[in-house]
Amino acid sequence: MSSRSAWRALHHSAKRRAFQPATPYRCFSCTRRAQDQPKSEQDRMTHFGFTNVPESEKESRVGAVFSSVASSYDTMNDLMSLGIHRLWKDHFVRSLNPGSPLPAGPHRKGWNILDIAGGTGDIAFRMLDHATNINHDIETRVTISDINADMLAEGRKRSVQTPYYNTSRLDFVEANAEHMPHIPDASVDLYTVVFGIRNFTDKQAALNEAFRVLKPGGVFACMEFSKVDNPVFDAIYKRWNFSAIPMIGQLVAGDRDSYQYLVESIERFPSQDEFRGMIQKAGFMIPGKGYENLTGGIAAIHKGIKPVVKA
Amino acid sequence: MASLARTVPRRALISLQSLRTSSTRPVRQSLQSLQPLQSRTQPHHLHLQPQIRPYHSTLHPRLPDHEYNNSQIAILSAALPHIPEHGFSAEALALGARDAGFLDVSVQLFPRAEFDLVLFWLASRRGLLRAKVEEGALFRRVADKSGRDASSFSTEEKCRILVMERLKMNSDVKGQWQGALAQMSLLSNIPVSLTELHALSNDILSLSDDSAVDASWYSRRLALSAIYASAEVVMTRDPTPDLSETEAFVNRRFEDKEALKQKIEGVSQCVSFVGNTAVGVGRSWGLKI
Repeated sequence: MSSRSAWRALHHSAKRRAFQPATPYRCFSCTRRAQDQPKSEQDRMTHFGFTNVPESEKESRVGAVFSSVASSYDTMNDLMSLGIHRLWKDHFVRSLNPGSPLPAGPHRKGWNILDIAGGTGDIAFRMLDHATNINHDIETRVTISDINADMLAEGRKRSVQTPYYNTSRLDFVEANAEHMPHIPDASVDLYTVVFGIRNFTDKQAALNEAFRVLKPGGVFACMEFSKVDNPVFDAIYKRWNFSAIPMIGQLVAGDRDSYQYLVESIERFPSQDEFRGMIQKAGFMIPGKGYENLTGGIAAIHKGIKPVVKA
Repeated sequence: MASLARTVPRRALISLQSLRTSSTRPVRQSLQSLQPLQSRTQPHHLHLQPQIRPYHSTLHPRLPDHEYNNSQIAILSAALPHIPEHGFSAEALALGARDAGFLDVSVQLFPRAEFDLVLFWLASRRGLLRAKVEEGALFRRVADKSGRDASSFSTEEKCRILVMERLKMNSDVKGQWQGALAQMSLLSNIPVSLTELHALSNDILSLSDDSAVDASWYSRRLALSAIYASAEVVMTRDPTPDLSETEAFVNRRFEDKEALKQKIEGVSQCVSFVGNTAVGVGRSWGLKI
């Protein structure tokens, strides 16, 4: 009985809806169409996890997510990746081998590394450690840039524990990676972005900006979640991502939505080949295959080198 | 040897290929390694991984096993002069990058790092060897020294000359060669190293006009690879400046090869004779063989 009444209601509502053309009034020779303005910059949509939001809003939404997870960031990373993220990060830094073991030439003073979206300093401290302890290079310096003040504050707090606190080798800057006017052209040796680029509103703009700030011969290196190639492992991994991680987020950090966003943004990020295409589009040379899969493709390291153009 | 009709499409294919992937064949690589290069922006397709193809065709020449773009060749060529001092190491690569106008960090262009330097050394020396023979200077020089005619060398002798010539190219880096051998013997590097060794023995045999197409095609390449690889190890411990000990070693191995070949031929003749006889005896007894 109730189902029938529901059906009737639906039926009615369908009938009652008047026909509305997409453009209510249209003639060939008047300016009425000018009223249907194309959507302005403000209204262009981008994705935020699985939902679509206006581009202007994504930045603040991502900001809110990371502000809320900043304090429990490390614990959560350990729980979510079962500690593997530390291995990935160590491998990433070791493969880049920052710092020169050779005596620097007259014009060279260590490497100038720009760590984008590296608010908590995970990568930056590892790089400085590697340069100092392995390559005995005490000139190499890292600038940590992050759009989120809370993450930077977390990194500043941690830097107190390191020998680089308050030295010229470590710097914190709050900036949007898509537009960095404070960094001059061709001034950076190594540009890294680790688990950050998938949160950017316009990834291609960030890549172009990276190309601009890098010196010729400089390296763009990026570690990001990617696509698992083995279907069986992929099924297990998806199950873990969509069931376990939001739950861990709720239990440990008391914030389910932020972690739901995290797994959705991982899902939306382009595959290895697509992202390599984007890096090439920005003008970089790709060494070899262009990416290296970690743990079956859960994460991937992408590299690009800015070509040296000789006159 | 090859008729015009066969060479023309082949050349066309190579040029097409080089347009598409801007590939550099080993010969060209070696020539480029002698001159400074202008680096350009990179091509879209790169085949740094070895290409393994299960068939052989004269119409579709084998793709080079490792291709490098211009920037990579510039860095690698600049790194070669640093090898005697720094070895096949990341330092040599970094110094090469500096000399070529790149940064220390640019060695990220080489996913295999130092091993790329070893491979480049092998491939470029192989190309140089081929260039020397194709110019005709190598055999003429040896012939003048021994007072013979260059066309009178047998395949065997040519092989021996080429092996020694190739070993002499390594004499500059003799002190560092053990490091290179160690790199090549790493588990992940073994397949590419073996491919390169096969390419060398294949080149040496084809340059010495070996035209065998029967089963000995395999055994010759195998034997030559074994001789060359063992001679390399001996060379690293050879104190003489003109590698005379290594030369004696190579000569002994070639004699061994001959002796072994004769023995195998003798044994196979004996086996076939005994087999034929047994079949004949069986037939004479009325067995339906």
